[in-house]
Amino acid sequence: MSIVIGGLAQFFLYTVAAFAAQNAVFGRSLGITSIVQMVEDPDRDSVLFCLLLTLVQLISAPLCWAANLAMAPLSLRVVLRPLTFFVISALVMGAVSLLCRRLFKGARGEKMARMLPPATFNTCVLGTLLICAVQSFNLSQYLGFALGSGVGYFVSVLLVMEGHRKIDRRSVPASFRGMPVMLIYIGILALAVYGFTGHGLAI
Amino acid sequence: MNPEKAKYLAENMELRSRTDRLWLNNPVVMQGLGLAPLVVAATTGRNALILAMAVALLLTPTRLAGALLGGVLPRRFSIFYYAGVACLLYIPIYYACLEVFGVGIRQVGIYLPLLVMDQLTIRRYAQEKAEKPLRALRRGIAITVGYGMVLLLVGFLREFLAAGTLLDEPVLSVRLFPLAAQPAGGFLLVGAICAAWRGCIRWYKKHVNMEAKRGV
Repeated sequence: MSIVIGGLAQFFLYTVAAFAAQNAVFGRSLGITSIVQMVEDPDRDSVLFCLLLTLVQLISAPLCWAANLAMAPLSLRVVLRPLTFFVISALVMGAVSLLCRRLFKGARGEKMARMLPPATFNTCVLGTLLICAVQSFNLSQYLGFALGSGVGYFVSVLLVMEGHRKIDRRSVPASFRGMPVMLIYIGILALAVYGFTGHGLAI
Repeated sequence: MNPEKAKYLAENMELRSRTDRLWLNNPVVMQGLGLAPLVVAATTGRNALILAMAVALLLTPTRLAGALLGGVLPRRFSIFYYAGVACLLYIPIYYACLEVFGVGIRQVGIYLPLLVMDQLTIRRYAQEKAEKPLRALRRGIAITVGYGMVLLLVGFLREFLAAGTLLDEPVLSVRLFPLAAQPAGGFLLVGAICAAWRGCIRWYKKHVNMEAKRGV
């Protein structure tokens, strides 16, 4: 019983840590290029993108944990991790794609299937899985961190999109419009994360 | 500026804006590619050199292999062969970087393997048609140079501002902007560099157009 409670406590703690203090976007700049693209392309469904990213990340986490455990005795594990995690993410993406097509018929299913590759193969998913592997997390920590990172990414996207909408374009100097002002805005938000931790995160 | 040259430049500005990966359409400044390593890991000149070496060895071969495989494999699998090739190439690249920089490559942490999934490396998969190999080679080299240039600029600038050193050699006795070593400072600095760069491009385009009109 105490093992289950301990596991749940770790899961919750790592979810909160990955969501706030170790936020993927503001703390480690993971998946930032996808955010830039989402902001510049308002037709892109950012909510769906983040949901798919979180789902792929969460399903991949236990598989990557098992693979990382199996690779532990290998001296080549450091160089094999990206390839292994890529194969796992690709398999998970295939499974999620099939699921989406089964559950959502027609255009919606097609849209989800089309959005899956960018939601799977980006720096946020691989970065989160690599952090878990490098820091030798256990299974509940893996799952908590993957979930927290995904939710943190979603909240970061919402904050950046809202900030982008509220910045009055006419009052921003021409050279700063678009990506530069957005990066400065994210930098100011990242200062809040720096205030949380008080030091740079281990990369 | 020579009026004829100004007229030629003004007439071809749109094409140059699309193809010039060094200044007018730099992958970082204009497209926002490869921002994660730039903002977090490129905190010193040495880190920037490690990342630049990895990008130089990774980007063009991945793009070239993707173009070659695109000619024989169905396009719907493009993400798998672009990302798969990048992951395979990472193995020798890691050892090459280790050979040159030693254990110093640990300073860039996960941002070295992360390059394999960066949009900078694999974004070509999203295009509907496969690239021609020669074009892929040319574009790959141009993007590598454009990205490497910004990477080195940001890395050395952040080291100078945060620690007052250049490649660990003391230059200043004061630390002008210590926050530059943190991701928050990285975002602010990269945002400011992008704004200044874009401002220069706007001025250049305006200047060329004015000179061309004056010539007419």
